[in-house]
Amino acid sequence: MSFKVLVFPGFGFLFCLAMLAEWIDRRMIARFQGRVGPPVFQPLADFIKLLGKEDLLPTGVNEKLMAALPLISLAACLTAGMYIPVAGVSVNNFEGDLIVVLFLLSLPSLLYFLAGWSSIGIYSILGGNRALLQFFSYEVPFLLALSGPAILNSSWNITDIMVNQSTSIWAIFVLPVGFMLAFFGLIGKLKRDPLDIPKAQSEIVAGPLTEFSGRKLAIWHLANQIQTVVGIFLLVDTYFGGGVIESRLATFLLFSFLALLILVSLSVMSAMYARLRIDQLARLGWKRLIPLSLLQIAFIVWMGKGF
Amino acid sequence: MSRFTVPIGPQHPLLKEPLSFQLTLEGEEVVDSVIRLGYVHRGIERLSEKRTYIQNVHLVERVCGICSHVHTTTYCMGVESLAGVTVPVRGLYLRTFFCELERIHSHLLWLGVLAKNLGFDTVFMYAWRDREIVLDIMEELSGGRVSHAANVIGGVRVDINDSQRKTMTVSLKSLSQKITDLRNIVEHETNFHARTRDIGTLTAEQIRQYCIVGPIARASNVDVDMRRDVPYNLYEKFDFSVITRSEGDVWARTTLRIQEAQESIKICLQILDSLPPGAVAVRAKRRVPPGEVICRSEAPRGELLYYIQSDGSDRPARIKIRTPTLPSLAILPDLLRGINMADVSAVVSGVDLCIACVDR
Repeated sequence: MSFKVLVFPGFGFLFCLAMLAEWIDRRMIARFQGRVGPPVFQPLADFIKLLGKEDLLPTGVNEKLMAALPLISLAACLTAGMYIPVAGVSVNNFEGDLIVVLFLLSLPSLLYFLAGWSSIGIYSILGGNRALLQFFSYEVPFLLALSGPAILNSSWNITDIMVNQSTSIWAIFVLPVGFMLAFFGLIGKLKRDPLDIPKAQSEIVAGPLTEFSGRKLAIWHLANQIQTVVGIFLLVDTYFGGGVIESRLATFLLFSFLALLILVSLSVMSAMYARLRIDQLARLGWKRLIPLSLLQIAFIVWMGKGF
Repeated sequence: MSRFTVPIGPQHPLLKEPLSFQLTLEGEEVVDSVIRLGYVHRGIERLSEKRTYIQNVHLVERVCGICSHVHTTTYCMGVESLAGVTVPVRGLYLRTFFCELERIHSHLLWLGVLAKNLGFDTVFMYAWRDREIVLDIMEELSGGRVSHAANVIGGVRVDINDSQRKTMTVSLKSLSQKITDLRNIVEHETNFHARTRDIGTLTAEQIRQYCIVGPIARASNVDVDMRRDVPYNLYEKFDFSVITRSEGDVWARTTLRIQEAQESIKICLQILDSLPPGAVAVRAKRRVPPGEVICRSEAPRGELLYYIQSDGSDRPARIKIRTPTLPSLAILPDLLRGINMADVSAVVSGVDLCIACVDR
């Protein structure tokens, strides 16, 4: 058990994957933009460098809270990783763990808002407000989109949803729109371009993280990277049946391929689009995506599957 | 909702040059703004009175980091007309060649900055990569990528040989293709439209009221272009069109600048094609007869004006520089009022400020 928690598919594995995913992402975006991009150890070097930097905070902030926020964020992402099967292997599972994982994955966004609010900086507060507005725009379609495969497979256990799909049909073939919504929600959740509205550099410097430095900033970045990996795995497990087929090796290869595909799609989206404005995102979310995700739920019910 | 003040600048990721805004916000809406200038004031006008005409060529080049050549061109035009010097035709062709290269360079740089401020890093990287072609040409001819020191009083100090002409024609044609690609990207990206359409709109009335010049005026359907209106540097010999648009928003300015860069490439290709033989410069006397002159030219950002007064010595009595971006700065508080905080970046980049020019 402790091997599973600490090494595979637990913390150590997630940490290495987070570094690798960041490298692939940065490298891909660089290639799309006609640049060379960083070498493979660059994310690790950045992480170590940030750990060693001076850790400054503005006077008057609650220092304990500021130190706790990135750690809670990281812990939430790592805990979510425990319930998500990697190539068919998960640390733990129980009926209803999808709901727990969705909650744990939304926690960093709320902590991100709190970080902005407690930083007492103008840019941080503006960024925090935006983070909260963004949260309400992407989180609802994301939740509804991920409940699609759960209803389809009559289970709220991620492992069951995954195993069930390996004997029937991948959810993406039944619910392609749901996958699009979940993918969009993931971009919003990770605050990547084009939805990097809460940390829009040319407007509010670095948003809620403006006042963070050193170790705390390193942990924020690590939490975000692990959230990226966990989010991608969640999509693979729920919409592609975790790539589970008979042979272990084939499962591993298929799972890696699917995860890589989603990661590269995220990079393509980053390179392709300009940043949206927060009111444009809210309009898009509430007028288009949420009705669409409700229609999708209605579609599943109409198919006579769930309930 | 309570009001609060957001400082932008003098150091801020939005600004590439030191300038300071104090934006008063209500929620995300900007209700008021205060601008502070003077962070890069170098006293160039006063300094120029202490230096000789020849030294001043290098001094006025440092007014601006982007349109350095057009400053020396305008200055030299003024001094030459005071001193009665006639520049050889080949020299004028080469001056125009540099002016147009600089326009391409400035417009691409601006497109990159706008894209970066809208969170569109890909276009930023593409525009600045393609700009390298122009910088390489200028470096090959003059040795400098940004400050070329190409002008002297009486002509230019650079020359093009036949093999350079051939390679430059090829690279300018490839640049034309790349700019077309950039235009396609910008025209087909929906988020870019959403962030620039109807943002920072200026009417022709406002343009006239604030004496705004250059691409911003042309994007609001005010048809001014010094190259056509008061031809200098043999511009009347070249075939190019002055582009205007009627929308007057940031989107119109973007497409207008991309089209203008294409027109500039057209002029450059004509110059390379029909470069006459002969000398590139004549010797001018150190002393300039007494008198005064006003000369105007079309800098990448609009009309540039030099007033030069001579008292007959080898130093000017007074030089006054009016740069094109000062009036666009004056209208910024009007443009910023009532917009969303997120649009500040689009509006500020949209008016294409050159703080070094404004402060001098």
